[in-house]
Order: sequence, then structure tokens, then C-alpha cells
Amino acid sequence: MDITSNFSGTGDYFILALIATLVCSLFFRLLKLPQLDKPRARNCNCNCDCVGGCESMAVTAAARVMNGGGGGGGVVERERHQQVIGASMMEQLVPEITTHALSYLDYPSLCRLSMTNSSMRKAANDDNAWKALYHKDFTMEQDSITPANGWKAYYAATRALVNINQQFFDIIRERSLPDMGRLWLNADYVKCIHASGEFFTGYSGVLGSWQLALNWEPAVNFQVRDVRSRVLPGVAWVTMKAYAEVEHNPHPVNVTNVFELHNGQWFMVHHHSSAMNVDGEVAHQPPMLG
Amino acid sequence: MTSSKTIVLRSSDGATFEVDEAVALHSLMIKHRIETGGADSTTIDVPEVTGNTLSKVIEYCKKHVEAPNSDDLKSFDTDFVKVDQAVLCHLAKASYYMNIKGLLDLSSKTIADMFKGKTVEQIRETFHIKNDFTPEEEEELRKENSWNLFV
Repeated sequence: MDITSNFSGTGDYFILALIATLVCSLFFRLLKLPQLDKPRARNCNCNCDCVGGCESMAVTAAARVMNGGGGGGGVVERERHQQVIGASMMEQLVPEITTHALSYLDYPSLCRLSMTNSSMRKAANDDNAWKALYHKDFTMEQDSITPANGWKAYYAATRALVNINQQFFDIIRERSLPDMGRLWLNADYVKCIHASGEFFTGYSGVLGSWQLALNWEPAVNFQVRDVRSRVLPGVAWVTMKAYAEVEHNPHPVNVTNVFELHNGQWFMVHHHSSAMNVDGEVAHQPPMLG
Repeated sequence: MTSSKTIVLRSSDGATFEVDEAVALHSLMIKHRIETGGADSTTIDVPEVTGNTLSKVIEYCKKHVEAPNSDDLKSFDTDFVKVDQAVLCHLAKASYYMNIKGLLDLSSKTIADMFKGKTVEQIRETFHIKNDFTPEEEEELRKENSWNLFV
């Protein structure tokens, strides 16, 4: 993993916040300093003159702890003296370590971390972290693209798309025509090419073909693999390989699904299934389903 | 018993540690310094690391160099990072500067594990993070993360 990062200064917020808030609460509970009435620092119980002041006070306390401790209250003078040492130590903490630590997190943890406070939000929304997570969870493809809204948004869109693509197969397994009807966009240009080679166009034609397929065949569960997606504003497509879990008639198929985004929801507008080329031979013509 | 060359490592606060060369070479930074430093480089300064941290780093290197295939290496690593947050962060920083990949991975992963599986409120409690978002920012946050069913 490439641990170089091009965000400047956000890494020190991560560790700074971590250490600062831990020691801040311990230290100031000890000294019971009066609360400063400022909106940004409203939850910080310290007698400091700026937003950064609380953190630097905590940093000096941290320095005190790290350099072998000291007495209890009344050490403010010594702490201001040690402030330089403490602050420079914190500032030296490199962004690369933050990026590296974040690379071990899954997407729910990364999201939750970004919701704790503003420093964590900057760190956890780091573009490179989400790019690395995209490559880990989805595909190494698209390494050279730059998503318009950043990698976190791209990851989010991909996750939503992969989920709805999986829903398509769940609907087939559950043989629910109403759900299939809700998944497809009600438009005259939607098209569906089943693995049998039959071609249907327009919403009612397409739904009609699914009505036959879902009622006709026994319920089929598909194992879906190699899911690859590409998301653009308003449209996305997904390719995959689907293996029907049917013992004597496997019929693996290549599938392409295309979706359009309307009112924040993805709708299927195109489905194309074809027999997979296995061991250099085109598989048997599979039944209509798929 | 073969006599092996020893190297002296000097921390930022002047503490010195004598270690076997093989142990010191576990740090790629030190390896590079020795290889480019000439025949007399028996004392290496490590100004980015304090004595306390350096002694722990050396303990890690010793274990990994002297007994790399031992069965208790995993439990050693697990116990090694059972330290408070400040020490853990210092270890991560030191391992980065001294280019010790194993320790960097170990300490980074340990830091990351502290966040996993916790709710937003739990993360705040564990690290005493104060919520400093305005209501407008809370709304932005909701939109930013609403795709995540686990939030």
C-alpha cells in the first residue's frame, strides 16, 4: 500500500486529538479550571485563550506524563516551559502513520470515526484512505481515475450499487414479480436480453418476460462472483459472473446490468446475460432465466 | 562463543543502548546509516526517539531477530502493544522513523483496533473526544454517511 499522503497537517490532528482529549480530561478534572465560554471550545474545561490553547495545555500535560511525570497541581509554570518540547513532539507525528492506521479500518468504522469530531472528520475522510479501501473491498481497477466528488463518495456509490445488484439476484431467488417491477425503471427504452437470447424492450415487455421466467423455472439461487462496477453521475454498470446453484445443469452466465439514478435511487435499465465460455467451449444454451 | 559486533544507539535525550549489530539492523534506517557511514560508525544517533521508547523498540527488535520463528512470537507481539495510548503512539512514530515495518504495522493495527466495532459515542468516550460539531455540520455529517447502514 502506498503510504505517502498528500494531505498536509491533518495527521497530527489525529494523534493530537487522541492524546490531547485523553489527557485534557484527566488533567483538567484534576485542576478544575474554569470553563471558557466559546462556541467551538464549549466542551473544553480549560482556562486557555484560544481554540488551540486547550490542546497545547493538554500537550504540556502529555509531555509531563511522557517525561516521567511530576507533581499534582500548581505546575503550570513548569508546563508552559515544557510546552515547547511537548508541542514540537506532537507536530512531528507524521500523516503517514495516520494513513497507515486508517488502512486497517473497515468502512463502518471509518465513517463512525469521521462523526466523532471535526479533527477526526478530516483524518477519516482522507481521500487516499478511501481510495485504498475501494481497492481492497472492490477492485484494483480504476486506479488512475479521479472521482469528481472524491473517493469516499465513490466508495459510497459503489457500495449502494453492488447492494442493489445483489438485490436483483435475491428477487430472482424469491421469485417476486412486484419487487422486480420496482427495480426496473418504468421507461420505454429499458431492455432485457436473457441468457436464452430472447430480447425484450420497454417496461411492460421486460416485466412480462420476467413474469414468465419467475413463474416457470424452479427457484434458482445464483452465486455471483467477480462483480465489477463503474459509476458515473447518474448512470452505472455492473458486470459479473453468475453461477446457478443447480446440480446437473450449471449454465454459468456472464451478466451485465446497467442502472440509472433517479431521486437518489438506482433503477435497472438494461440487463444482458450470455452463456459463459468454459474451457474454450460455449456452454449449453441455458434456459431463459438469467 | 562468537563475538558479534555491537552498535551503540543514542536517543534524543542522550540515553545510550548497546545492542548486537544484528538486532540494530532490524531497523532499515540504522542499516542504511551503517552501510553508508563508514567503518567507524559504532554509535548511531536516533534523535527522533526518546530513551524510553528506544528501549522498547530495541526489546521488539531483539525478540524478532533472535527468535523469529518461536511459537510465542504472536503472544509477545500481543502483549508488547498492551500499553497506554501515548506509548503506543510513540512506538508507531519511532517505528516509522527507524523504518521497522513489522513494528509499524503492529502499532498501526493496534491503534486501528481501538476504533473498530465501537459506536460514535463509544469512540468519543474511549478517547475522550469532545463533539465540536455545529447543528449544520451534524446535518452535513448525516448526509455524508447516510449510505452506511452501520452508522
